[in-house]
Amino acid sequence: MSKESVTPRPAFLPAHTKYGRGIQRVRQMKRWRKPLLYLVFAYIVLLIGPIAGFDLPRIVVDITRNPEILIQQLLVGLVNGAIIAIISLGYTLVYGIIELINFAHGDLYMLGAFGALTVIGAFGVQDEAPLQTAIPAMLVALIIATVLCGGINVLTERYAYRPLRNAPRLAPLISAIGVSFIFQNVGLFWGGLKSFFPSMGTNAAAPKSFPDLLPRINVLKALGIQSNINFTTKDLIVLVVAIALMVGLHLFVQKTRLGKAMRATAQNRDAALIMGIDVDRIIALTFLIGGALAGAAGLLVGLYNNTIVFTMGFTAGLRAFTAAVLGGIGNIVGAMLGGVLIGLLSSLSDQYLSSRWTDAWVFAVLVVILAFRPGGLLGENVQEKV
Amino acid sequence: MAQQVIKVIKSSWVLGAIATLTIILFGGWSGTVIGWLLGTGAGFMACQGKRIPSPKVGARIGANAGLILGIWLFVASLLEGLVIRPLSGQSSLGLFQILPSGILALLVSTLAGGVIGSLQALPSPRRQQATLVTLAFILIIFPFVDQVAQTSWVATAIEILIYVILALGLNITVGYAGLLDLGYAAFFAIGAYTTGLLSSSQLNIAWNFWVVLPIAAVVAAIAGVILGAPTLRLRGDYLAIVTLGFGEIVPVIFRNLTEVRIDEPISKMFGSLFGHPEWGICLLGCDRPLNLTNGEAGINPIGRPSLPFVGTFESSNYLPWYYLILALVVFSYFMIDRLRDSRLGRSWAAIREDELAASAMGINLVKSKLLAFAMGATFSGFGGAFYAAYISAIFPTVFDFSVSVIILCMVILGGLGNMTGVILGGIIIMAADRLYLPQLAKVLKGFLSTSVLPNIPNPQLQDFIATSLDPTQMRLFLFGLTLVIMMIVRPEGLVPDATHQAELHGEGVSDQSLADARSQ
Repeated sequence: MSKESVTPRPAFLPAHTKYGRGIQRVRQMKRWRKPLLYLVFAYIVLLIGPIAGFDLPRIVVDITRNPEILIQQLLVGLVNGAIIAIISLGYTLVYGIIELINFAHGDLYMLGAFGALTVIGAFGVQDEAPLQTAIPAMLVALIIATVLCGGINVLTERYAYRPLRNAPRLAPLISAIGVSFIFQNVGLFWGGLKSFFPSMGTNAAAPKSFPDLLPRINVLKALGIQSNINFTTKDLIVLVVAIALMVGLHLFVQKTRLGKAMRATAQNRDAALIMGIDVDRIIALTFLIGGALAGAAGLLVGLYNNTIVFTMGFTAGLRAFTAAVLGGIGNIVGAMLGGVLIGLLSSLSDQYLSSRWTDAWVFAVLVVILAFRPGGLLGENVQEKV
Repeated sequence: MAQQVIKVIKSSWVLGAIATLTIILFGGWSGTVIGWLLGTGAGFMACQGKRIPSPKVGARIGANAGLILGIWLFVASLLEGLVIRPLSGQSSLGLFQILPSGILALLVSTLAGGVIGSLQALPSPRRQQATLVTLAFILIIFPFVDQVAQTSWVATAIEILIYVILALGLNITVGYAGLLDLGYAAFFAIGAYTTGLLSSSQLNIAWNFWVVLPIAAVVAAIAGVILGAPTLRLRGDYLAIVTLGFGEIVPVIFRNLTEVRIDEPISKMFGSLFGHPEWGICLLGCDRPLNLTNGEAGINPIGRPSLPFVGTFESSNYLPWYYLILALVVFSYFMIDRLRDSRLGRSWAAIREDELAASAMGINLVKSKLLAFAMGATFSGFGGAFYAAYISAIFPTVFDFSVSVIILCMVILGGLGNMTGVILGGIIIMAADRLYLPQLAKVLKGFLSTSVLPNIPNPQLQDFIATSLDPTQMRLFLFGLTLVIMMIVRPEGLVPDATHQAELHGEGVSDQSLADARSQ
């Protein structure tokens, strides 16, 4: 292996280096100093936090005044988190197998949403169409979006990442950034094809409206619970589809022969090759599955938020990547957990902190997690091999 | 004979294609200017690696190269005047209107090649000095030539030079120390906003630009250290993602620092617990919340620099701006060149090659890495300060992720770790982005609306061609494609650094992974 790929994860440096000694010094600080350090840090956060909406007294008052809003936001966060989790599975699968941060994954999901919108537009279904016309359109859109994204992802792997598998580690990452830009521009171009797809609206760069096809029946009312909390069948359908996809993926990876081959390839590519596993095919399959999930997520987001725009892939991709890192990248269950946590964080931040600062809070979580626990919540910190 | 012609065309096609494209897009006297610039380059390149016994021989080789380029130019100006102009809806020119500019371009290109060629015959140290003097001469008289030729490229040249500074700074972090920084635009933003805050009506501070310039660089350097501190333990792609996160947070902060009010938290908490909000001690923005950055609308106007004999720099007069940014670029180049060869620069190279081995050799990783971030940020602070004063207004949207990637694109296209390469990469990408693409869009639009659209019967297709074929909308695509193709075809860049090239080619074949070797 080239020397760059020996270090799969950032690790603590051995204590004998100068830098390691610095860490030791922090560890050997006098016992009373450490809590004091944390206290000072907490004080600074409380001092500066209100600028970014982190105003504890106001938040406490808000929550006690109307606890139902909290539950409502938790539900919104759960549904959004489920969608983020599907996207972050694509990151985690690819990272697990070839240790590449597939930067283009977020934009791939955007292309999936555009594909779904094109198909639904071709069916001619409008807002709140009757279910018997909407369901075939949605099913065809699901199939086409997954096939499209899976196919694009496999082609990308073949032509943009595979030639770089032996290159220094940053080379495929930079290539992935390039692919992400290409996808974004393709989305912009696609959005401008109003002459062929009337569903794209007039302006190429403007957000497109996605037909609202899922029924909105309040589940809680139907169950006979009286409350102001709004949890409709729309939320439920998105949640169920997302969970079904995640469970399906988990079973596929854990129970099937191909899944076993994937896990083997992720553990040790050489050994997998000796055992007769076609490593190239397994990597292509991983990209196919990740891409298909991204396509499905694109359709779900379109149906849930009813608006898509060509730049949405970048932010969503970063959130999904944050989720994957939070859960422990390379860990499938971790990605699901991280997705839900990030979804909850952003919906709570929208409500209680400040929606303008939500992005900053999410990325701050990313920075803090990477800096202090790069292995994530469920991952393990791997010692550096020399 | 035919084979010789093909050989000559093959050897000169890159410069020739650039020259042709320039003339076709810009027309007029642009051929003369580009012939002057590229002719010098062609003459210089033709003399590289050859033994040149006397100025006469050198002049002949250089003039030869310049002449070949000149023929490209001449043919291109005929093409432009007789074919392209009528096709794109402009009035066609007569042969006598075209010939003077075409012939002048040919002559200037040949002459420029000959002059630089004859200088290459000098003995070694003086040859480099002579080349430098020629370069300095070209850079100094460029605005005047531009004015005479009416090409109005100076504004773009200023933007190119701003980005060259940024690319040189990023080259320290990425090329020398090997720390991939995807949030470099954040430092650019910090430099620009520091200037904006310290010399505008936003906080009623109007400091002199010459005072603010170093302050902006220092603030950016401090931000570099703040960013660097949590990333010390990370490497490779994790580091890239943290810097990316930082680069995303900074514009959000600048966008939202519109109502700043800081209260002392403990007293405030007690106050709200016991129902006496007036107990809270207010520290900042008490009467009314401070508006630091004015949100999306940005800070406008920002004070301009002034000099004793020049007076205040005006936005209509590009000359002082051009020379100021040129001076900054030269200063940065000199500083970075000295830094690279210093003890610090060598420790960066060691860290880039092998962190563990470097720390075992006694290199202080913390200090070197933080200084790499700080130094990289310093130069983008310069760039940001100049940018803010030059545009005289700043908005948070200017500093988004695509800017970081464009700068990274320049560094990678030119060649990681090689300053000449990075400057070349900056010039190529910025010229393509700011000069050629908009002009191409203009010419293409004229061409489509006069020659193509009337001949298309299908209204859908007509509409598609009219709206979707816009080169300025393809810029992200082109940047992305540049990155991917460079990574696959020539990861060491156009002008590679010797160490990087050795790393990327030849070495490391023997210890490849089995699976990787098979997939080749």
